[in-house]
Amino acid sequence: MGTPTETAAHEHPPSHGYDHGHDHGHDHGAPARGFSRARAIWLVVGVLGVAGLLALRSLATEGGVPLPNQLQDLLTLAFSVIVESLPFVILGILLSIVVQAWLPDDLLQRYLPRNAVLRRFCISLFGIALPVCECGNVPLARGLVMKGFTVSESMTFLLAAPIVNPVTIITTHAAFGFDDGILVARILGGLAIANIVGWLFSLHPRQDDLLTPSFAAECARGDHSEGSRPQRSLAIFVRETSVIMPALFIGALIAGAIQVAVPREVLVSLGSNPLWSVLAMMVLAFVIAVCSSVDAFFILPFASTFLPGSIVTFLVFGPIIDVKMLAIMRTTYTTRTLVQLTVVVGLLSALIGLVVNVLA
Amino acid sequence: MSWLSIQRWRGVVLVGLAAVATVVLAATGQLVLYIHPRYVVFTVIMVVLAFLLVLASALLSKPDDEDAPASPFSKALSVGAVALAALLAVAMVALPAATLSSATADQRDINSTAIGASDTDLEDAAAVPTAEFAAFTVLDWASLLRQTTDLAFYRDKPVDVVGFITPDASDPDVFYVSRFFVTCCAVDAQPAGVPVYLPGWASQFEADDWVRVTGQFAANPSSGSAEPLAIDPDDVLAVEQPSEPYLF
Repeated sequence: MGTPTETAAHEHPPSHGYDHGHDHGHDHGAPARGFSRARAIWLVVGVLGVAGLLALRSLATEGGVPLPNQLQDLLTLAFSVIVESLPFVILGILLSIVVQAWLPDDLLQRYLPRNAVLRRFCISLFGIALPVCECGNVPLARGLVMKGFTVSESMTFLLAAPIVNPVTIITTHAAFGFDDGILVARILGGLAIANIVGWLFSLHPRQDDLLTPSFAAECARGDHSEGSRPQRSLAIFVRETSVIMPALFIGALIAGAIQVAVPREVLVSLGSNPLWSVLAMMVLAFVIAVCSSVDAFFILPFASTFLPGSIVTFLVFGPIIDVKMLAIMRTTYTTRTLVQLTVVVGLLSALIGLVVNVLA
Repeated sequence: MSWLSIQRWRGVVLVGLAAVATVVLAATGQLVLYIHPRYVVFTVIMVVLAFLLVLASALLSKPDDEDAPASPFSKALSVGAVALAALLAVAMVALPAATLSSATADQRDINSTAIGASDTDLEDAAAVPTAEFAAFTVLDWASLLRQTTDLAFYRDKPVDVVGFITPDASDPDVFYVSRFFVTCCAVDAQPAGVPVYLPGWASQFEADDWVRVTGQFAANPSSGSAEPLAIDPDDVLAVEQPSEPYLF
């Protein structure tokens, strides 16, 4: 454990925090320059804190931690969701920084058609150029709204991008080839749902009401255009992580807890009924919360027992709606909006699955 | 510490802690306990980038003065959520890495439908020289058992597998020597197992103990177990958990 301690020495500056109980940290009282004395103190506290945690870890490794199996598995699953999602979240935040701070303001708007339907269709194809799966798309969708896109357009992007992104298409093709039209149904189905949902929400007269009050306020304040581009980039990084990370952690915890609690055989035993297998797949997708770029590999072994339409339902519904995604999307959209979104997406993906089941 | 600084720094702290935990796991070769090996490089690159941004934010970023005023209720909710997330992040750094246990294997239904011919094809296996069967994993055998339970196929084929013990609920004389196999990350881990008939195994081993089982398949003498075949073990040895406990 030599290296990690050394690495840790760099970390933690911002651990101003809740893991230590001291009452301090008046960064905001400091004059508007980057580094203050208070921050230096917190930096030292943070480094020591992480060093302490790592010492605890190596002690625990030797002694063994007698956690009950279920609790240990819950933690292992939650950590697994976090480790799996973190790189994509970071990539999404980086792309959001590029869109907000580095691209010219009107670059994306300039080339989009004026007609709302065509415009949403073009937006639903943005994802082809972005190798980010669903959790990374949320910061990016927020960046688009900040840049002046409407809320329903951000939804169209958010729903389509995880399905049409190149990594997802490649992995789905690797898993299924063109068998039973699963790949084609997934791409077309995902695009259709994104455009239909975007159209439905565009009918809402006050688009800002779809957003959480805090994000709506942030949009109303507008771009923090003061400061150099690197400064603005850091400001976006701090802001976006403060919104997304707690949601990711809570979502991961819930996903872990559900997995420990719900026996999987209950779902699998429903596999061969045309209707029930579609519903079982939606529940499975909701519970598993696995990334869209790899979910095809996950579901492949089930292909022998489940009907192809049910597989398509899993592949269309899962990237958009699951426990982790709802927690993350809640940072941006209101609960009411998310309930409507879940119902609409659920009905449409079930419909697509049933159609494929009938045709195949 | 003020409400504003919690709200401002919580994300950076969480990224920082998760990044430290990930780097520690990667440095000790334990990242594969959580994700498939093919994502290790990408994950490490992104986490190092995140780490540099955390550092830069802490040293260079300017205070962001405006913040939406929050109601006491949403403040309390948000503080609660952040405390829970922070606790999880601290646990991520402070607790040693662990593999999934037999509790999850039970709960996920060992050898569920998820194991199919795609793992090891029966016809291909029939062409394999007998001695090479000793290299078959738990997953290979579980896949074959799904395709045929004809004892003639298994006769004289050596079994030599490593896995952890999951008890068979239907018969105390039978346990499964089992492994998880992973397609993306531990979240999708599926348990695969092969039944072993060893009366009184519980007096020597416990559930979750790692063992190496050698022997051959035979008709399962157990009356309670639903498995038609089971390993008739020549030897069951306690072993250390392998460094890559999951099969990929």
